[in-house]
Amino acid sequence: MAVVRYLMELSGIGADRLCLRWVSAAEGARFAAYVQEYSEQILRLGPFLPDDFALPLAAMDKALGSPRLRWLMGMEIKITEKGNIYGEKLDEQAYRQLLNDAAREEYEKALVLAALRTRPGTVRDIALETGLPVYTVSCRLNELERSREAELCGYRATSPEFRHVGL
Amino acid sequence: MNDEFQPRIIAFLCNWCAYAGADLAGVSRIQYPPTIRVVRILCSGRVDPLYVVKGLQSGFDGVLVSG
Repeated sequence: MAVVRYLMELSGIGADRLCLRWVSAAEGARFAAYVQEYSEQILRLGPFLPDDFALPLAAMDKALGSPRLRWLMGMEIKITEKGNIYGEKLDEQAYRQLLNDAAREEYEKALVLAALRTRPGTVRDIALETGLPVYTVSCRLNELERSREAELCGYRATSPEFRHVGL
Repeated sequence: MNDEFQPRIIAFLCNWCAYAGADLAGVSRIQYPPTIRVVRILCSGRVDPLYVVKGLQSGFDGVLVSG
């Protein structure tokens, strides 16, 4: 859930839209209080318009479903407590950092792909559409090319144009 | 923004904890806002990150996970 919050913050949706609360079966009053509190918070935030966030949401969906993140999330205990066969472990904070970095990369990759879904584009087009820095887009495109998810499809003047493979 | 904005929150409640808590709140007639739509799940550990994204994609204003 920490990863989801991190990605929601990153995508501009805001982590406040997700709320995690512990209530036991005997705490009806506490549950009611939480609902009250959270409803007021959402009321302050205003309505959420999924159409405005279609691109980030699609990217989050893809990133959170990616094998890389799934593996990392599933191996939390192994990485932080048991260690690998050489006894190497990461502490909690290093693991969080690793997970967040991986999540950001996967998210950016998914965002670039989502932007290419409608039509091919140059690095600058993609940067404009996704709001990512040009250099980041370029790095992610490189990774996408390596995994054969995006490819070069021609040139517009001197700028290379990329497209989504398999569309 | 309209004045009548009524938040719509999707709530994933654990069958054994929060769902029973919500039930108790109902039985003991504690008032709480009619903003949540409850999805009962068998354990809050079952909530996948993708559920949250899907909830937001379907137009909910907020997601509450409680267990």
